[in-house]
Amino acid sequence: MRHPAGTTLPLFRRAFFDSWRSTLAWAAGLAAAAFLYLPLYPSIGGSDQMQEMINALPAEMTRALNYDQIASGPGYAQATLFGLIGFLLMSIATVAWGAAAVGGDEESGQLELTLAHGVRRVQVVLERALALLLRVLVLTALAFVIVSLLNGPSQLDIDPANLFGTVVLFAGLGLLTGTSALFVGAATGRRTYGLAAGAAVAVLGYVFNAVGRQSPDVEWLLKVSPYHWAYGNSPMVNGADWASAGWLWGISAALVALAAVALEQRDVGA
Amino acid sequence: MDIAVSAHSLTKRFGRREVLHGVDFEVQAGSVFGVIGPNGAGKTTTMRCLLDIIRPNGGEVRVLGQDPRAGGPDLRRRIGYLPGELFLEGRVTGRKLLSHYEAVSGPVPPGRINELAQRLDLDLDRHTRKLSKGNKQKLGLVQAFMHQPELLVLDEPTSGLDPLIQQEFHAMLREARRNGQTVFLSSHVLSEIQQTADTVAILRDGRIIAVESVTGLRESAVRHLRFTTSHTAAPDAVALLTAVPGIGNIEVLESNGGVTLSAVLEGAIQPLLHALGRLELTDLVLEEPDLEESVLKMYAMPRKEVR
Repeated sequence: MRHPAGTTLPLFRRAFFDSWRSTLAWAAGLAAAAFLYLPLYPSIGGSDQMQEMINALPAEMTRALNYDQIASGPGYAQATLFGLIGFLLMSIATVAWGAAAVGGDEESGQLELTLAHGVRRVQVVLERALALLLRVLVLTALAFVIVSLLNGPSQLDIDPANLFGTVVLFAGLGLLTGTSALFVGAATGRRTYGLAAGAAVAVLGYVFNAVGRQSPDVEWLLKVSPYHWAYGNSPMVNGADWASAGWLWGISAALVALAAVALEQRDVGA
Repeated sequence: MDIAVSAHSLTKRFGRREVLHGVDFEVQAGSVFGVIGPNGAGKTTTMRCLLDIIRPNGGEVRVLGQDPRAGGPDLRRRIGYLPGELFLEGRVTGRKLLSHYEAVSGPVPPGRINELAQRLDLDLDRHTRKLSKGNKQKLGLVQAFMHQPELLVLDEPTSGLDPLIQQEFHAMLREARRNGQTVFLSSHVLSEIQQTADTVAILRDGRIIAVESVTGLRESAVRHLRFTTSHTAAPDAVALLTAVPGIGNIEVLESNGGVTLSAVLEGAIQPLLHALGRLELTDLVLEEPDLEESVLKMYAMPRKEVR
């Protein structure tokens, strides 16, 4: 009623469209990584020579890199793209977006002016989280499309249903790091703290997974590794664990809600 | 008349540091209310409380009849706000930024944005982060004025503006006042408040130490006086002058031939004129009141003595 036509969700639109360059750059990076790694499968993962080389590596190392499953097409795509380079790119992108959404905006002094206008703080957090979600979905959809395209030509032999499950987990993992950064940024008003929190979730998740797989004594580390929740049962090979996906997405949603509550409670720019 | 903005015993602490220790004021609807005070006096904090950007620890604030927090977005749509430090870093043009704020706080009458930009000589098609400080400030002003809000809250509105644009801004304030809009503005330059405001509040160390109409401030302000008289001896002239209420700092500048005296007057002029009427004057200078001087005096005065 108050809004002229075409201006629903103004904060979301601004957050999403003003950062299209960044979204495009990350998408290009992810696409480049996929096009670099996946076509190499027939000559690397599938070859006997490569398998011998991997067998010669210390078992701890192959486990840490998830290379124990590299011999099959789905395992190769899982270990190289979703488990390593794609995970890295997605994590960096979401942490940067999440930390900038509220904490970065406040630190640069611009949130004050936005909040002085006809918006609710909860609305600011929700619309910006929505922009984060949409950007994650763009990257995820892109990964899904590229892997599907390369599935045949690169002899990956991936089950599309398993691929779908994996990208849902991939997106969930990205959302969790991004919303962690969003929440801490919104609670503290500091971009750096948001970056640190998001990076901690991504890096510690990865490290806990790598270390936790080494011995039953440290297996408990796997329980607190979001990375392991997502990829622990090799979703590309065995299909997604939907309960894990539920946790990743659910905790992300909860972090957004907490971010909204935190921002609602405190002074801005003080 | 209605009260557009009021604060009663407004206190605000940041951690252990209390920056507002019970601020009280009332702003008449349709008037221009200026707050002046040295840096760190609490001007920006007070304004942020009006916009619900920060929340007071105590006291009561009413903006257009509502508590800022309870009023929410609907209340803030009726306010135009210019922050004291304006940061615009996005890779967007001024025009796009304004249409974003229009979508949030609008509606804006058609043509209004262009008209304001033209008046302030602002190019709306440049990226905001490439704008100079003064041009960012202009964009901030357009953003605050464009939806013709009932209340304008402007924190140091002319900082960075060149004198010509400052005049245009003063014209915009006069128009706003004519339209019945209320203006709450801060400055650390008195002359600006003096030119634009009806009422001035002096804020020091988180307290309002005086609220005066600008006319009242002028009356109570210090005036410098100098006159030359013939046919009267210097001691007699000094004695006559000393009897005038509010006179101080009497100095005899010259006493051979004509007698020239200087003094300062704080208070009403009539008694002085009465006294001077008994003298044969050959020269008289009564300067414009120096508001700056009287305000600086209030800044420096121990707390209890002010008013």
